[in-house]
Amino acid sequence: MTASNPGGLSTSATGAGSPMSSPEQASRSLERTIARLLTIGTYLSIALLVVGVVLMAVSGIGPLSGGPAFDPATLVADLAALRPAAFVWLGLIVVIATPSARVAVSGLGYARRGERAMTIVAGLILFVIALSVAVARGLES
Amino acid sequence: MIDGLLLLGSGIGAGLFGSLLGLGGGILIVPLLTLAFGLPLLEAVGVSLICVIVTSGAASGVYLERRVANLRLGMTLELFTAIGAMAGGLIAFLLDARVIELIFTGLLVYVAVTMARRRDAAPNAPTPGPAAPDPPIAGTSVADPRPGAIRSFLDRMSGPDYRIRRFGFGIVGSLIAGVASALLGIGGGLVKVPVMHVVMGVPLRVATATSNLMIGITASASAIIYLLRGGIDPYAAAPTAIGVFIGASIGSRIASRIDLRLLRGLFVAILLYTAWQMLQRAIA
Repeated sequence: MTASNPGGLSTSATGAGSPMSSPEQASRSLERTIARLLTIGTYLSIALLVVGVVLMAVSGIGPLSGGPAFDPATLVADLAALRPAAFVWLGLIVVIATPSARVAVSGLGYARRGERAMTIVAGLILFVIALSVAVARGLES
Repeated sequence: MIDGLLLLGSGIGAGLFGSLLGLGGGILIVPLLTLAFGLPLLEAVGVSLICVIVTSGAASGVYLERRVANLRLGMTLELFTAIGAMAGGLIAFLLDARVIELIFTGLLVYVAVTMARRRDAAPNAPTPGPAAPDPPIAGTSVADPRPGAIRSFLDRMSGPDYRIRRFGFGIVGSLIAGVASALLGIGGGLVKVPVMHVVMGVPLRVATATSNLMIGITASASAIIYLLRGGIDPYAAAPTAIGVFIGASIGSRIASRIDLRLLRGLFVAILLYTAWQMLQRAIA
């Protein structure tokens, strides 16, 4: 939950501080890319949610009034029409999609480095996420 | 408008408390939304899942940047937390809400007791560490019964100053954490951190950071089910998630300047009161 540095580490718990070999540098680079992706995804989602909440306030919509269901078909049109629910839903989609994007980027990074086992793990995680979508859709219909 | 501000403030409080005490905000958000704002339990859990993904994303970025989280270990275990979360997300819609409320009451009491015991520990008492390291193995390839590929995989997952052990327990713990996360809207660190630290031999700070990283995928696997089955109220989720994000950000900055003993005592009292309220709701 906290973004603080546990133990007040100034160096890494996973190997920073020592001269880095090439695989180590590649690993560091991948972790930095993922860290940036997570940070950008989080801030983007919060920004969208803030816009949605401001539009809710302007439109006089209460947060306990029961929001509309998620409808991907109307999302773009609703965004263009500055409907509060569209910005909130887009923010929530970015929240939910950011961890999957992190796994996809990790998988690509590991694939590029020839780490077959981690590439398979990343693929399996994405498969489970896709299965969640399919199962939920199947139950919905 | 007033409700929005109240939700925002509640989110800030949950994020702040959670961040200062090293807990996910979920344990506070679900009771707050159900008991104080009257949201149905499933919707409260859905909103809570969104909140824990937000805080996990923000914190994980920092942990990865500082190289505290173990990405390989986190990704491998989160495959199992995601499977557990998918199952839990489906079970949640089949169970009577009162059953989940009873489970949540048990969770609140467990966390309160754990917190109280931590408070009573002697200030100089050593932190429970991981189990003793494996004895040195002469001729590893002969003594280690695991197939070479698995051994090599686990070795690559280990850190420079620790070695991953008893990976099977990690799988079981991750499945349980995933189910708990999906049913109760929590991050599941209560299960994952002890399993990784005490059973698998991962240092506490690495276990905490890695658990945090795993929360994102775990919660999103079940949040998708909640979203598609109408279990997330967007208007209630937005101000709460923003509040939790603000609260967690403030908490991470002031944690080192706060006397946590008093805060912990207050938190134990709040948890026990909430458990009582939740129990009454469940049996009503």
